[in-house]
Amino acid sequence: MTPASTDSVLQPIAITGMALLTPLGDTPDSLAASLAARRSAIEPVKDMAGVGAAVIKDFEATRYANVRGLRLYNRPTRLAICAAKLALVDSGIEAAGLPKEQLGVLLASTFGHMETLLEYDRSLVTAGIQRTNPALMPLAIPSAPGAALALSFAAKAFSITLSDGGVSSLDALGLGSRLVEGGRARACIVVGTFSACQDLMLAASRAGLLGSASTPRVFDRRRNGTSFGEAAAAVVLERVEDARARGVEPKAYLRGQASTFAGEPEAVESALRRASTNALRSAGIAADEVGLVSAGASGTAGADAAEARAIIGVLGAAAPRTPVMAIKGNLGEAMDASGLLQALSAISAMRSGKAPPILGLEDPEVPGLRYLEEETDVDARHALVTSVSYEGACSALVLSRNP
Amino acid sequence: MRRRVVITGCGVVTAAGTELEPFWANLMSGTCFIGPARHFSVPGMDPLTGSEVELTEPDSLEQDARGGRCAQLTLAAARRALADAGLRPQAKELAAAGVAIGTTLGEERQVGDLSDRWPATGTDSVDGGFFSRSDNHRLATLVARKHGMGGPTLVSATACSSGNAALAWAYELVSSGGADVMVAGGADALTRSIYTGFLRMGALSKTICHPFDKRLDGVSFGEGAGVLVLEELEHARSRGATIHAELAGYGISNDAYHITAPDPNGEGTVAAIRQALASSGTALEEVSYVSAHGTGTPYNDVAETRAMKAVFGERARQVPISSIKSMLGHTNGAASAIEAVACTLALRHQAVPPTANLTEPHPECDLDYVPLRGRAMPVSACLNLSAGFGGFNVCVVIKRAP
Repeated sequence: MTPASTDSVLQPIAITGMALLTPLGDTPDSLAASLAARRSAIEPVKDMAGVGAAVIKDFEATRYANVRGLRLYNRPTRLAICAAKLALVDSGIEAAGLPKEQLGVLLASTFGHMETLLEYDRSLVTAGIQRTNPALMPLAIPSAPGAALALSFAAKAFSITLSDGGVSSLDALGLGSRLVEGGRARACIVVGTFSACQDLMLAASRAGLLGSASTPRVFDRRRNGTSFGEAAAAVVLERVEDARARGVEPKAYLRGQASTFAGEPEAVESALRRASTNALRSAGIAADEVGLVSAGASGTAGADAAEARAIIGVLGAAAPRTPVMAIKGNLGEAMDASGLLQALSAISAMRSGKAPPILGLEDPEVPGLRYLEEETDVDARHALVTSVSYEGACSALVLSRNP
Repeated sequence: MRRRVVITGCGVVTAAGTELEPFWANLMSGTCFIGPARHFSVPGMDPLTGSEVELTEPDSLEQDARGGRCAQLTLAAARRALADAGLRPQAKELAAAGVAIGTTLGEERQVGDLSDRWPATGTDSVDGGFFSRSDNHRLATLVARKHGMGGPTLVSATACSSGNAALAWAYELVSSGGADVMVAGGADALTRSIYTGFLRMGALSKTICHPFDKRLDGVSFGEGAGVLVLEELEHARSRGATIHAELAGYGISNDAYHITAPDPNGEGTVAAIRQALASSGTALEEVSYVSAHGTGTPYNDVAETRAMKAVFGERARQVPISSIKSMLGHTNGAASAIEAVACTLALRHQAVPPTANLTEPHPECDLDYVPLRGRAMPVSACLNLSAGFGGFNVCVVIKRAP
């Protein structure tokens, strides 16, 4: 059979627009400055003892986007719309007159509908069927945030929602690249959004996933759980020739992506290693060419150590010298938005030549990696982004400064 | 170069059957399986109507502590599809295989269980397990874990076109070299949010659904799952697999028109069909059968009829188009995946399934909907249409095995 699955080299895809909304900044530059300054957004959650979260304060959607129906949508949907709008503006593609039939949206959202579904369902139980709000149900299904995005931007090429938990947005970047490369859209907004409603936070806390109310101890021997972080992040993907044709210099290039699954915790290391190796191979980039790793470690008991060992396995002899950054000590676990945040932070570091320190790491459990302790000069042409979901899904992404 | 993608396994769990041949025979006979729903409840409502799946062991045992009804249906269909493909659990061919599952509401019943406890216990009703039980990603990961699959695990939500969409993502991965084998399809249980939402919007049939019929007055719902094994052509040949059909391509669009209503002219459907034909290298004259979305709502059925005419022009009346939702009800995210299995069986049997409950066509529905009974005829290429709330259109092309 030809070509074998892992030998396929993907065409580079241009990232022409970038945007994010986080508690530590609403532009890639302002977030990078906050990360460099070792700021943490984690604060204790009111009425939930011992639980912390990073929440965007004073979020006013209308400051970022003016689209019809915005006030009807729930918070994660509004965050997604605003991030998508900012990325579109950043790409300049709307001004370039892109036909709406050529604009697609890929949304990473596993829980973006949940608060609305709970509201609808509880009203059914407490008030009865005749008192339910019929306008609420269409907004309560998992595809609703994606429908709102399609409507907001008249994205007629497609609107797709991927619900792959913590690896959603890396998977979405991979699928988005394939769709753009295959000509399904001239431009694709890939957006991830996460805002934990009270019930999700309670459930995660009672499941033992959430740690103390302070900064998660990422990669640290004493880690005891993570905190949720609210965020949305978006990029605009185009074929390199299309970006060039309209005279735009891409911010970075998406070179490879691969996903794997570990059926048990012991298999996470090998599964993430396989995803990373496959992503590098599809990018045609050797492990020792990776100049920066943006890790998904979040301070939970399970996956951080496996992720560290997988990265060591992938980088081999280059492991002790390759800088590793991890942003969840600052921002918490932003689930469906996290992979995009990791990717955007890596792009900022590649472009500025400065990578941020890992907050909350004092005593690495797995030695052998160059965990960044302070803001560090980096000269990275290629970056590897890694993530592991609670379910055991692993995803890896390869980014490059140049095509 | 794009690699060719073939279908080497099919599995369904539906009210019309949980094995392929009885399922097909029931469809061809035009039997309607929509009736009183017994395993599903809505506070303050009785009786409820829908099509339900009767699962027995070992399927009923698939509902372990980590999976709800939707996962149970998914696992049951996936097990059948893999067996049909000759792939045993933990087979070496599965080590790098992936899963793509589409769903409209996924594990919504987990939310229902929480809500039922809410009035008495408030926030105490929220248990730690809710976080993972309500995570729809588990529809894919439970399948992967059970069968020893180590590839991508994707769950996508494009409302009621989710099954076709999952097939499309699996096609993307296999055709581009990201995977050699993907297990892909859709699943949904009967859910009270959709059921009551449609009722309150006046879109739930007062009796049973009548797609394309004068009496069309809304949707009937059902539960089920359809799962297919998609495989790269040479991979399938090299292991001696039976190739049922080719998944030759797909088309996708969004109406970007309204949060619930489809574009009345079916423009998004037209765009998806045209893209699917181009993507699969299929000429209009090659299309032998169209599996309609055909929900039984005036909005959908009239718009879909218009879309057919826009695409096929004069030939529209000569292309049989039917809706098996007339027999199974609308199984939401499962529907287009179950319909993809029906298209595959149509190629195998050289026959097309009917639209049941269609005795007098709606005045704006004047195509050949294959009323009441299935029809033996040459079948070489099928279009499988789907659309969903929010304007999500996905069309898949299934052709005779290469």
